[in-house]
Amino acid sequence: MSALPPSRFSVLSSPSPDLLSPTNSSTRFSLPSGPAIATATAGTPKPLSRPNIYDRPLNKIRTTEVSASAFAFLFSEIVQYMQKRVSGINDLERRLNTLGYRIGTRVLELMAWRAESASKAPKRDIRFLPVLMSIHTNVWKAVFGKPADAIEKSVQNEDEYMIIDNDPVVTRSISVPRDMSQLSCSSFTAGIVEAVLDGLGFPARVTAHNTPVDDFPLRNTILIKLEKSVLEREELFK
Amino acid sequence: MSHHLFLLSPSDTPLYSLTHFSAKASQVAPSALSANLPAWSTSAFAGTLTALSGASSVVQTSAQGGGVRMGGGQDRHVIQMIANASLDVIEDVVRRDNGMYLKSVDKFNEWTVSAFVTPGNMKFVLLHEGKNDEGIRAFFAEVWELYVKTMMNPFHTAHRMIGSAVFDGRVRASAKKHL
Repeated sequence: MSALPPSRFSVLSSPSPDLLSPTNSSTRFSLPSGPAIATATAGTPKPLSRPNIYDRPLNKIRTTEVSASAFAFLFSEIVQYMQKRVSGINDLERRLNTLGYRIGTRVLELMAWRAESASKAPKRDIRFLPVLMSIHTNVWKAVFGKPADAIEKSVQNEDEYMIIDNDPVVTRSISVPRDMSQLSCSSFTAGIVEAVLDGLGFPARVTAHNTPVDDFPLRNTILIKLEKSVLEREELFK
Repeated sequence: MSHHLFLLSPSDTPLYSLTHFSAKASQVAPSALSANLPAWSTSAFAGTLTALSGASSVVQTSAQGGGVRMGGGQDRHVIQMIANASLDVIEDVVRRDNGMYLKSVDKFNEWTVSAFVTPGNMKFVLLHEGKNDEGIRAFFAEVWELYVKTMMNPFHTAHRMIGSAVFDGRVRASAKKHL
């Protein structure tokens, strides 16, 4: 009995020892050793001249657009990755929001640069309603290639505004299982909106909610709940 | 004539700073008060007092570049304090002025403070002595572009110092060209 190992170990014991020994495995799996690189690049004058981010233009050209399917694949991986690391729907939405926030800060800065850098006196929006309009059209166009479908103001609460997208690009290829029906992957978009508002000095809590209607089953509402300080500031402008 | 540039994150963390000595001569006449101050006032600590008392530097920089003795308002800690103090004024102005370039937003003794606020609330603060509106505008525009490029890098976070040598080099080149 001791002579025969259990069958499940047979896979490990069967390969020849040289495959597992460190000396051989290093030549098989690791990167080529140093001298090989040196000889390969000896002819070129600058072996380490990588393209520099400061040399790349920031302007929008046709090739800077990304295909929707490539984005859908990436976003699907993001959701899967997150889902393995969270404890519930709220946690997942929060994480997607955080991710969107990081993108939103960059979108805001880049969008403004593209729009204003040519002008002699670049402008920033300082009133809330123009900012909301610009999120509805400019930010949506910059990120999703089309403007959002509607802006609404809450009737009950004066600090709440909604941006409505009938067919959000982000969730177009996502079908949420029935037991997670509360989940809205547009939290990612909400994060982008939150970052844009924050950057321009309108701190707010932004969340995403599914609001399907018959014609648009994917219809999504981004709910913006402004902080009190923003409303007070708007009062001062009047 | 020297210029001091500070890049401050939305939470006012300094991300980058630069001191630039311009080849152009200073157009500022030395303050009369500075001539009356005793010689000891140029010592390191008294420099702060001199600066705060309203006199400009006693020892004027005689040549461009380093190696020159600094006194009064030219001390590093005084410069930093003036830049920080101007933040209050800048924050007031950005709430009602919708321009990104805030020309001569604050003044302290011989220093004029100009600022540039990006949409993401990043503040570029420049301390300068002479009047050079167009040059400063062009300089800020170039720094903005460099900053946006830095920010697009996924490894850059909002509160990290900008340590890129290329960024530093480009900002210096731009300062040399416009200031």
